[in-house]
Amino acid sequence: MRLGIAYRMHFRYSEAVTESQNEVRVRPLHDEHQQVLSYKLTSRPELQVLPVADYWGTTVEYLGIRTPHNDLELLAEATVETRPRPEPDDAVAAAMLADTDFRTTHLEFLAPSQHVQLDSGGAVEERAVSAVEGASAVQDMVQAVVADVRGALDYRQGVTDIGITLTELLEQGAGVCQDFAHLATGMLRSVGIPARYVSGYLFAADETALDTETADEVSVQTHAWIEAALPGWGWWALDPTNGGTAGERHVVIGRGRDYGDVPPVRGAFTGSGTVEVDAEVVIGRHVEGQASTPVTGPGPSRPAAAPPAPSWRHQQSQQQQ
Amino acid sequence: MVDVIPEPGSGLLDQYQPGGAFDEAFDADGSVRGTYSRIVERFRELDISEVRRLENLVADEFRRQGITFTVYSEEEGTERIWPMDLFPRIIAAAEWDELSRGLSQRVAAMNCFLADLYNGGGQAIADGVVPRWLVVSSRGFERNAVGIRVPHSAHCNIAGIDVVRAADGRYRVLEDNLRSPSGISYVVENRAAMAKACSWLFYDHPVEPTEQYGRMLRSTLDSMAPDGNDSPHIVVLTPGIYNSAYFEHAFLARSMGVELVEGRDLVVDDHTVYSRTIEGLVKVDVIYRRIDDDFLDPVAFRPDSTLGVPGLLSALRAGTVTVCNALGNGVVDDKGVYPYVPDLIRYYLGAEPIIDNVPTYMMWDPDQRSEALARLDELVAKPVGESGGYGVLIGPHATERELDDARATIEADPRNWIVQELVQLSTLPALAEDQLEPRHLDLRPFVLTGERTEVFPGGLTRVAMRRGSLIVNSSQGGGSKDTWVLAPETP
Repeated sequence: MRLGIAYRMHFRYSEAVTESQNEVRVRPLHDEHQQVLSYKLTSRPELQVLPVADYWGTTVEYLGIRTPHNDLELLAEATVETRPRPEPDDAVAAAMLADTDFRTTHLEFLAPSQHVQLDSGGAVEERAVSAVEGASAVQDMVQAVVADVRGALDYRQGVTDIGITLTELLEQGAGVCQDFAHLATGMLRSVGIPARYVSGYLFAADETALDTETADEVSVQTHAWIEAALPGWGWWALDPTNGGTAGERHVVIGRGRDYGDVPPVRGAFTGSGTVEVDAEVVIGRHVEGQASTPVTGPGPSRPAAAPPAPSWRHQQSQQQQ
Repeated sequence: MVDVIPEPGSGLLDQYQPGGAFDEAFDADGSVRGTYSRIVERFRELDISEVRRLENLVADEFRRQGITFTVYSEEEGTERIWPMDLFPRIIAAAEWDELSRGLSQRVAAMNCFLADLYNGGGQAIADGVVPRWLVVSSRGFERNAVGIRVPHSAHCNIAGIDVVRAADGRYRVLEDNLRSPSGISYVVENRAAMAKACSWLFYDHPVEPTEQYGRMLRSTLDSMAPDGNDSPHIVVLTPGIYNSAYFEHAFLARSMGVELVEGRDLVVDDHTVYSRTIEGLVKVDVIYRRIDDDFLDPVAFRPDSTLGVPGLLSALRAGTVTVCNALGNGVVDDKGVYPYVPDLIRYYLGAEPIIDNVPTYMMWDPDQRSEALARLDELVAKPVGESGGYGVLIGPHATERELDDARATIEADPRNWIVQELVQLSTLPALAEDQLEPRHLDLRPFVLTGERTEVFPGGLTRVAMRRGSLIVNSSQGGGSKDTWVLAPETP
C-alpha cells in the first residue's frame, strides 16, 4: 500500500522564547516491509536539521533555534510503500521461552524499563499470569494478553499522562494507544515474552477499530503498538488498541523498550511562558494520477502541563493517541 | 641500607609495630625497607612537638589556599581543612615503572572496550569475552553514546584507578573510575604544602614533581579537539559552587589557564557549542566536564537538569565538540564488568595483565554465588553501581543478621552484586597521639589518555586514621599523604 504521510507540529508559545532545542523521531523506518520513497523535514523558521540513526536504528533529527520566536512549525512529509507482514504459522511452544540464549538475547525487552516498571507479584504480573493460563503456544499467550489489555482499558483521550505507572493505569482503566502498548508490553514481559514498543503512523480513521473502509485520507495522531518475540520465529507485530495484528496500514517510525526510546518530539526551551502544541498527522492512500496528500488545517489543540520553575522549560512531547 | 630498630625510647617510631598487613616502610622483621631509610632516619630525629609544629604549618597553608573538602552529613555540607599526614609515601623508581605500565595497560584495554562498544559494533561481545546481557543491563551503558566519534578512540581521558597493596606485597586494582575521578588537586596541593613547610624532608630524595599536572591535562585535552585544531578552546564544566569538588574544578581550570563554566554559560547554535563571553560567543572545542552523563543535556537526558547544556548531544553527534571524559564510561565503572577487565587486556592487547584484580566472585554465576555466600563472613560484598565504599558489606565486621540480610539481597538481585576477597590494605606510619603507628592506605593514580597515554607520577594516597580501620575515605575520617615517586637513578 502506498501511503503519503504529512506530520505537522506547531509549537505556540505564550511569550517569546529565546531558544529551543529539539530532537524529533518521525521519519518512517526503511526496511523489508516498508520502503521510504521520499522524506523531508522542514521547519518555520527555517533551521538546520541534523539527521542521525540512534542506538535503536531510529532516525533522530536534531534542530535548534536561538532567535526569539513565538511559533515553531515542523512538517515531516513521507511517501511509504508498505507490504503485509508475515504471520506465524506453526504453534511455538511456550516452553521455548525458557531457553537461556533466547532470554539473554532479548534481555532489553524482558527487563523493566522507564515507562514499563514491573513489580514482582504485583497487579500487572497477576493479571498477565491469569490471562495466559492454559495457553500452550506463545502466539495464544500473546493474543490472550492483547485481548486482556483491551478488557482492562477503555480508549479515552486526555486522561493519562506520560508519567503514569502500569499499576495506576490499571486502576484508572482508560488511556490512549501508548498506554495500551505499555500495558501489553509489561504484561508480556512479566510472563517471560520479550516485547517492544513501536512508534509509528496508522492509516485508519479510528484507531480503536482497524478501519477497512476505503477512505483516501484520514486526519489522526501518531500511533503506538507492540511487537512480541516468538522463539525461533521472530518479532510479531500486534496492535493492542484495536486488537488486530499490525500490517500494511501500520508505518513504523522506530522501536524501543518503551515510549522513552522513541518519542516523536522531545525538547527544551528557555523563556517564561507556556507552550501549546498542535500536532496532526494526515495520511492519504496514494491513488494513481492524483497529487500527493495536501496538508490540511491544524488539529485539536491542547495546553501542555504547567512547566517547572527553572528557566529551562521542558516539553516532553505531545502525547500520542 | 637496613637500619636496626633502636632500643625503646621517646622517639616517634620507637614503638612502631607493623601489624599483619604489608608495611610499606618496615619489613616483617621490623627492619626499615631501603626506599624509606632516609625518611625514617629523619623522623627519628623529630620529637612530637616539632611534628605538631610542622602539621600546623601545613594546615595553615591549606587554610590560606582554601583547600578544603566537603563532608555531607545529615542535611548540609560542612567544609573541613584537607587532612594530610606528614609521613610521606615513597615509591621507588622500579616499582613505579611496573605499576605505571600496569595502569597504562589497563586503561588502554578499557578504552578499547569503550571504543568497541560505542563505535565498533561490540566485537568483544560477539567474541564472547563479555556477555551482552551484562552490558545492556548496566546502568552505565549509555545508548546515546553509540556512534559519537571520539578522537584517537580515547573515551577515557582522565582515569583514576584505585589500587591497593595486599599482604603479599603485590599491587591489585580495587576499583576503576572512568567517569569523573576526583582528587588530583589534593595531590598537587599536598606536595606544595609539604615542600613549603618541610622542604628539608625531601633532601636526598629525587622526587618526581607534581606541579606539571595542569600542563599534562592541557596537552591531553588539546589533542582531543574534534577537527585536529591544535589550539582548541577548552572549558571546564562544573555543576557549580555547591558541588563537593568545586575547589578541584576551579583548580583545574586555573592550572590549565582555561575558563571554568557552568551549563548556563554555554549555548548550542546549529549543532555547535559556544561560550558566552564578554566578547560575544566563542566556539568551544573541548569540554572537560565534571557533571554526570544524565545531567549533560536536558533534551536527551534528564529533563529536570538545569546543570547541562540543551542541545549538547546534537553537537556531539555533529562532531563539532568533544566532551571529556566521553559519554557512557560508566559501563566500565560497573563492578559487574570489573571481573572481565583482565580478559579485556588479553583480548585487545594480547598480553597478560601486569596488575591483577582482587579475586572476585560474580554473583550471577550460581556456583560462584553459593561458594561466596557460604563464606560471606570472610569476604566483602559490593553493589555494582556504587563507588567510594557506599553500600559495601565487610564480612568480618558484620553481624549474623547483617550477613543474612546481605545473602537475601544478593540472592534476589545477583546481577547487581560482586563479592571479593578481603584485602588487608598495606600500612605506613602515620601520626596518632604522640607516636607514629601503622595505618592502612590505598592509592589512586591518574592516567591521562589523548593522542598518547601518560601516567601521572604518584597519585592520591588516602590513609585510614583509626587503628585497624580499612576506611580511607576523607568523608569518613580518612586522611591523605604526599606520594613521592623517586626518579630513576642517573648513572
